[in-house]
Parts: sequence; structure tokens; C-alpha cells
Amino acid sequence: MIFQSLKIAIESLWANKMRSFLSMLGIIIGVGAVIAIVSVGTGSTQQITSSIADLGSNMVSIYPRTPRGQAGQISSGSSQDKFSLELTDYIEKFCPSITKVIPIKQVSGTLISDDINVNATILGTNIDYTEVNNYELDMGNFISENDNSERKQVIVLGSQLVEDLFENDNPIGKSIKVNYNGQAYMFEVIGVMKEKGGSIGGNLDEQAYIPFSVAMDKLTNSDYVSSYIAQTSSSEKASAAVSELENFMVKFLDDEDQEQFRIISQDEILDTVSSVTGTMSMMLGGIAAISLLVGGIGIMNIMLVSVTERTREIGVRKALGARNVHILFQFLMESLNLSSLGGILGIGFGWLTAYFLSQHGDWPMVIAPLSVVLAFGFALFIGIFFGLYPAMKAAKMNPVDALRYE
Amino acid sequence: MKKVIQINQLEKTYFLEKVKVEALRGVSLEINTGEFVSIMGPSGSGKSTLMHIIGCLDYPTSGQYFLSDQDVSKLNDNQLALFRNQKIGFVFQQFNLLPKATILRNVELPLIYNNTDSKNKKRLAMQALKKVGLGNRLKHKPNEISGGQKQRVAIARALVNRPSIILADEPTGNLDSKTGKDIMKMIRELHNQGNTVILVTHEPEIAQYSQRVIYLKDGLIDKDEVIT
Repeated sequence: MIFQSLKIAIESLWANKMRSFLSMLGIIIGVGAVIAIVSVGTGSTQQITSSIADLGSNMVSIYPRTPRGQAGQISSGSSQDKFSLELTDYIEKFCPSITKVIPIKQVSGTLISDDINVNATILGTNIDYTEVNNYELDMGNFISENDNSERKQVIVLGSQLVEDLFENDNPIGKSIKVNYNGQAYMFEVIGVMKEKGGSIGGNLDEQAYIPFSVAMDKLTNSDYVSSYIAQTSSSEKASAAVSELENFMVKFLDDEDQEQFRIISQDEILDTVSSVTGTMSMMLGGIAAISLLVGGIGIMNIMLVSVTERTREIGVRKALGARNVHILFQFLMESLNLSSLGGILGIGFGWLTAYFLSQHGDWPMVIAPLSVVLAFGFALFIGIFFGLYPAMKAAKMNPVDALRYE
Repeated sequence: MKKVIQINQLEKTYFLEKVKVEALRGVSLEINTGEFVSIMGPSGSGKSTLMHIIGCLDYPTSGQYFLSDQDVSKLNDNQLALFRNQKIGFVFQQFNLLPKATILRNVELPLIYNNTDSKNKKRLAMQALKKVGLGNRLKHKPNEISGGQKQRVAIARALVNRPSIILADEPTGNLDSKTGKDIMKMIRELHNQGNTVILVTHEPEIAQYSQRVIYLKDGLIDKDEVIT
């Protein structure tokens, strides 16, 4: 009987092609939107995740932190002056999971070449920076041990900075002026980094690198660093390194509540990113689900019109021996066909949308099977739910009245 | 002669906008197998109500109706649907074909509701269509054929389940007089082949094709006479 009803339903939908398509449209858009949004969400998350992993998943950063209640000023009890260059050696010594620690002195300055000014983040660091960050040179050299010990005023530029300052000229060996804190310093360009793109904490291509000693002694004349980047022997050791570091820092700073420092591992950043993008996907997916619901109401609307319009047909079918359940199934099958066909077309539509968006956004195209199953299942459920009332209305019709209907 | 229909003291009362209408006020009649009976009467005489009850589309308020020795007033909705399917072949004034389905599909419709397998369904439907002379129009839609042909399709549909009675409600009402005559000749031919035919009409010339005319007036049988 179900097969019979299905056949009758398909025939009648085919007879009203345009109307069937229009009433399916809500479901098509709803299912398509759910699939596309979830795909964009997962695709972009994967892209961000992999670019974070590119930074080196075996990295742990340590930052000084202004104690609570004293924001904006450094009190006498602050630990910032304990964040010295010497600490790098202590960390390497007392944390067995950490193989190397590099100090970072971060300042903001203006780079000037001829009459072009560019604001940049300037990092004072040492030769190990490229290795720890999994970061390569495009041309020239990075800061050497010698540059650091002799406090040479040399600078390595991110690819975007080179483009802004020198356009297409080879910058190696050229001199640029660095304005920091009202003072001007002359630097010689010795290297250019490979293009890396945007990431957490800014675009790496807009950063410049100078010897750590120059940043500490010449530019800022301070004794404490901005942060440390620690490298672990492998990415599996990262969590062990974090707890070793925590123990060490608590003892070193006598800071039981961990108020004066902060340790950030890549895992932590990944968690934050995926929870943010996860929330976004959930929210957009929810909006798409509402459009599915609206599509369902559209189907109910059309089915009610269809039942009224075909009152006489229902009467004829009943006169010829159709039982109530035959009529019920016929109309239920029609709405189920509308929603399932709409669901199938919606999967195609969502797939295409996801494909074009991933091409445009340059992230991998990921279609989560769960999103397809859920969206399609929800569409079927909506077809049954919103089809039930019109179908029951049709089934309950009195054959005499239905036959008289004009 | 075997009785196919026996009706005892049938009454039907319904309410139309809160006004009580006594459509049938105690009708008793018998129809034998193979008879060709006309039911006549002015509008409001109760002939449509009687036809609906005979056609198992409606329940009587009181009284008994036996169709093939089964008391129809005791059947539930589903059994009634089965009775309509098996025992009764309807021919309507408006033809009542499904406009978007082909002629073959229209004739197959009663077979769908008793789960005839698809091979027999097509065979029986083609057989019925041949009988009314439309064996070559299977793939046409109802709006592609004439009114007389539509009514012949409806007759084929009524015959396809080999019903106990053929119930024709003003079968010529929507046809011109020449086509109407052709349809009546076809119905008389079906009767000659042994079918029981009940014809509801208000036209005396149409009733002339039958052997017996039952006149209804104000919900009661006024006259019941055999035509020679």
C-alpha cells in the first residue's frame, strides 16, 4: 500500500511541476544552507588549525603578567624585572622537556625607506627564532650570534614589509631608518622572510626582526623581555613542558597563584579557535535550521491548498474504494516526496555552495557526513510533521460532500 | 430471481445549516440481479440521498439496506470502502476522471485499491476499455478526448472490478442528446450482458431505456412501475 501511495504521490507531484518545485525551495535552501555553513565552518577551522600547527606545535610561550588590581602600572612587587635574559638558561636547565628557549623583545616602530613610512612590529630575538617557529628565509640571512654579540644594527623584514618599502627591488644591503620612541636608528637589511600569511597575534609578514641585544640595550634600554618562546623536543611533550614550566615559574617567582606570568601553548590557542568557530557554526547552523522549519510551513501551506483543490478527486477515490488510510498515505507521501526531493536537491545545492566558497576563501572543502545526514533527516521529519495535518484533513473527508464539491 | 438489493423502511435525516431535512422518510424496495432500474423524481425528492446510500457512500439514519445479503448499515468505514470497491461501479454526471492521469490509469484506479498486481491491473483495465470501444486511446489524457469518450472511460472504470451493480447518476446530463443516446445504448447493452444497472435521472426519455421506473416524491416512493 505504501508503494502504491508513493506511486500516486509521484504522479501528482509531477503533474504540478512548478508548484512542487516552489514548495520544495524552502527545504532546498534550508538543507543547502546547513550543509554549506557547516562545511565553511569546518573548512576554515581546519585552515586556521593547520596554520597554527605550521607555527610549530611544539612551542610554548611565557608572558609576564601585571598582577591583578594593579593594571596599567608596574608596582615594586612586579616580577617583570625577573623576566631577564638569564631566565632562558634557567628554564632550559630546570625543564627537561624543553630543548631551547629564546627571548623576545617586542616593540612597535616605524620603518622608513626614502619617503615611505610603514608601521611594524619589531621583534628583538636571536638566531634560533626561525627554527623554533618553523619559519624560513626567502633571501639573505637571519640574525647571527655575531650580530647579537656585537649589537649590529641589522634587520630582517617580513615579505609584506619588503613589498611596501621597496616594491620589487632587492632590499638586501639597503639601509632603512627605524623610528622608535622619538629616536631614529639606521639599520641594514640582511634578510627577507618567506611569505607566511596572517595568524593568531597578527600578520607575520608585517613583522621585522632585529638582534635581541639591539632591542634591549639600544632601543628600549630595559632589562626585561616581552616573552619567551620555548621549544619542546616533540609536540607530544608540550603538555609535560607546560607543567614543568608552571612548577618552575611558581618557585622562581614565588607566585603560588600564577598571577605574574602566563603560559600559552599551541593546544590552548587551538582550543580557543575551535571553540570560537564551533560556536559560530552552531549559531549559523541554527539559523539555517530555522529556514528549514519555514520551508516545512511552506510545504504544509501548499499541501493544504492541494487538499482543498483536490476535494473532488478525494471524493472520487473514496467512491472507487480508497480507504481513509489510502488517502492519508497518498498526501503524506506527497509531502514526504517534496521534502526528501528538496533535501536531495538541497544537498547538491549545499555541496556546490560549499565548493565555491572554499575556492573563494582558499580553505579545504570539507563536507561533514553528519551535517548531511542531520539536515536530510530533519527535512524528512519536517515533511512528515507538516504533511500530517493536511493528509489527515484529506483522509477524514466525507465522500458525499467531497463528490459534491465544486 | 436473486435479490441484489433489499431496502426496508429506510430513513435519512440530516441537518443543513441547523434546518432538519428529512430526505428519506421510509423507503422500501427490492432490486433483482440483472434488472435495469431508473430512479426518478424532482429535485429534493431524495433520489440523490437514496443513490448515496445504495452506493455505500452514506449511512441511513434508520432502516436496513442489504446489498448481496450483507447489512450495509452495520459496516464500518473501511468495510464500506471495500464494498464500494467490489460491489459498485459508479458512473457520474461530471465523469469525475482524474485530469492529469492517462485514460489507462483512470480505469486502473479501482484496482489500485484492492491490491491487484500490476500485470492483471493492466490486462483488466485494457479489457474494460476495449469493451467501451476505447482500446486505442490508452495514453491520452481526459482533456484530449470528447465528452462521450470521457463517459465511456468512466463506464470502463465502473466495469473493471466486475461490480454487483452499476450506479449511474445522470450519466447523460453533461452530454448532447446524440452522444447521450449512444451512452444510453451502451448502458442498455451492458444490462443485456447481465449487469444490474441502477440509473438516477430526472429525464423521462432517459428513464425509457430501463425496464422499471421508481418515482420518488418527498422522501417516499410515489410509483414503482414496470415499462413495457
